[in-house]
Amino acid sequence: MRRKLLLTLITTLTATGALADPLTDADEIVARANLAAYYGGSDGRSEVRMIISDAQGRQQRRQFTVLRRDIEDAGDQQFLVVFSQPSDVRNTVFLVDKHIDRDDDRWLYLPGLDLVKRISAGDKRTSFVGAHYFYEDVSGRRPSEDHHALVETTDGTYVLKHTPIDPQTVEFASYVTWIDRNTFLPMKIEYANAAGKLYRRVEVFEVEEIDGHPTVTTSRVSDLLSGGQTDMQFRYIKYDVGLPKTVFTERSLRNPPADRLRRPEK
Amino acid sequence: MRTWPLLLLLLPSVLLAQDDPWEDEVWGDETQRTTWSGFVEAGLGARFDTDPLTGSRNTLEELRLRIESQWHPGDVTVGFKADGTYDGVENSFGGHIRDLTAAFTVGGNTDIRIGRQVQTWGTGDLVFLNDLFPKDFVSFFAGRDDEYLKAPGDAIRVTRFSSAVNIDVVWAPVFEPDVFLTGERFSFFSPLAGGNVAPRPPLSAIKPGKSLSNGEFALRLFRTVEGREYALYAYRGFFKQPNALTPSLESTFAPLTSVGASLRQPLGRGLFNIETSYYLSRDDSNGSNTLVPNDQARLLTGYEWEAKPNFTVGLQYYLEWTLYHDELLGNSPFPQYEPDEFRHLLTNRLTYRVGRDQHTFSLFTFFSPSDRDFYVRPSYTYRHSDQWSLIVGGNLFGGDERHTFFKQLRDASNAYTRVRYNY
Repeated sequence: MRRKLLLTLITTLTATGALADPLTDADEIVARANLAAYYGGSDGRSEVRMIISDAQGRQQRRQFTVLRRDIEDAGDQQFLVVFSQPSDVRNTVFLVDKHIDRDDDRWLYLPGLDLVKRISAGDKRTSFVGAHYFYEDVSGRRPSEDHHALVETTDGTYVLKHTPIDPQTVEFASYVTWIDRNTFLPMKIEYANAAGKLYRRVEVFEVEEIDGHPTVTTSRVSDLLSGGQTDMQFRYIKYDVGLPKTVFTERSLRNPPADRLRRPEK
Repeated sequence: MRTWPLLLLLLPSVLLAQDDPWEDEVWGDETQRTTWSGFVEAGLGARFDTDPLTGSRNTLEELRLRIESQWHPGDVTVGFKADGTYDGVENSFGGHIRDLTAAFTVGGNTDIRIGRQVQTWGTGDLVFLNDLFPKDFVSFFAGRDDEYLKAPGDAIRVTRFSSAVNIDVVWAPVFEPDVFLTGERFSFFSPLAGGNVAPRPPLSAIKPGKSLSNGEFALRLFRTVEGREYALYAYRGFFKQPNALTPSLESTFAPLTSVGASLRQPLGRGLFNIETSYYLSRDDSNGSNTLVPNDQARLLTGYEWEAKPNFTVGLQYYLEWTLYHDELLGNSPFPQYEPDEFRHLLTNRLTYRVGRDQHTFSLFTFFSPSDRDFYVRPSYTYRHSDQWSLIVGGNLFGGDERHTFFKQLRDASNAYTRVRYNY
């Protein structure tokens, strides 16, 4: 683990030297970052596990598999999230139809009641299954929802500040992202409230190149006010697995596609 | 460049801080292997007032062990969920299978699920029009988990998916009624007695004979287009409540055919739904048969939105229109207890979640301006950990006239608590 991080840092450092002229257009940087973070390949799968810790150090666990399919790059996408742990959320399934021109459509399947529950559009910057991650973090926030400004360009990083176009729909007043100039992955995000106080931080600890795509494999979200945090690990990642659109329908809520969820052979 | 030395200085502490919290724990592959899980739960619910007609002050006095398993022989998924209970109110031990199913896919586009299963469809929130799958109102009123409102039934479900329209067909060879009020745990209003009764032995109802023609058949055609969910429904079976009488005046289930439709879609920042159904009472097509319920047209519309972060509001309006109402009153021995021609019901769900869903405050209110009665369900859920959770809640009934649906349960008003350990 430590060695991996060190390697990552060294790779980043060496790669920095070979960087092209820095970009200066904030919107373009955000567009590239959006592609790097959410649109690798034309589809993909990953297994995810989380440890949710509160300020007292009490821990909860979650484990799930995410399937993703892009309808077009930087455009509409579909996500299917199937939970396997803990036992009381096993077989809970979350389906997202992400849209660029309107609000996302989202459904949650609750197996105990055989209930397909729809989630309203406003309800997106709230906890995802008890984690410090938000529903919106699963599928990504539309770049068009914020104003973007390039604050600083360092040797390895673009620093951008983002302010919401409609502040009524979000809990933050602004956020700052540190985007790796080489991979365009956001490596750190800090959210500030209306009082200007930082209250939330997202950090990436490990990036690995998988199927040619630099991919986040370890990250953390911290609640800077209460002191809790959620650690996240991604494994068994694969891109371009050929997921058909039929996987992302009500069918998969009741009957998750076992063949598509099967762990890929390395 | 100035930042690098600082970063290098910080490096050891960074490494320390994000030392692998999983400590090389293996990643379980739950999708493939056989899983066993479940919970143990203790529940206690008590009336605010005693019901002079029923013996127990408690509505819930229960120990419950849930066992769940899933395994995958070949291309089949076998599911199993069962509860073992000790019920102090009825002083009995019981075993209840909630799910025992084999699920498999045929020809790529057809999913089949055979066995005992819980099923739900339709757009209502605790109001059901086209969902005629069995429900357990006794559990719901007593303070058991919401899950138990849906009772299991033995059925074959075939769902065929296609780009034009998806088709759901459910066939239950043997009619499975709701779990209804029998007087055992809760007393209920009897028009004959002109007040509440709790018969001993408890009320039993004559079920339709076990012939193939007495099975239940439910159909749903559904499709989602641009975020709009359209559905058409049909059902042939029986009213799920024993609201008919045989010629010898025993309770029974009247034959029912229903058709309906629903739409659910985003509207503004929230979700809008509308659903309608027509209940055709096959043995009383013109309202002249006193012993059998009349036809009904039902309409539901609702809107749900997140009013503040973590605070969700849901509103529903529901209408039950009893047809041939003049004939109903004209032929009824108890016209004063017959339903209004138009029964209006409003519901309101408020949900407030705090601390990443660790604390959930919920309030669900039913209020009927036509029956002038209400049912209020407050609850607080505390999720202490992945293993332990606690719920405290209540079921409060009231109204003006003793024969209305919620008012008859006034003496059942209770507060309950349940502690659960998930394993």
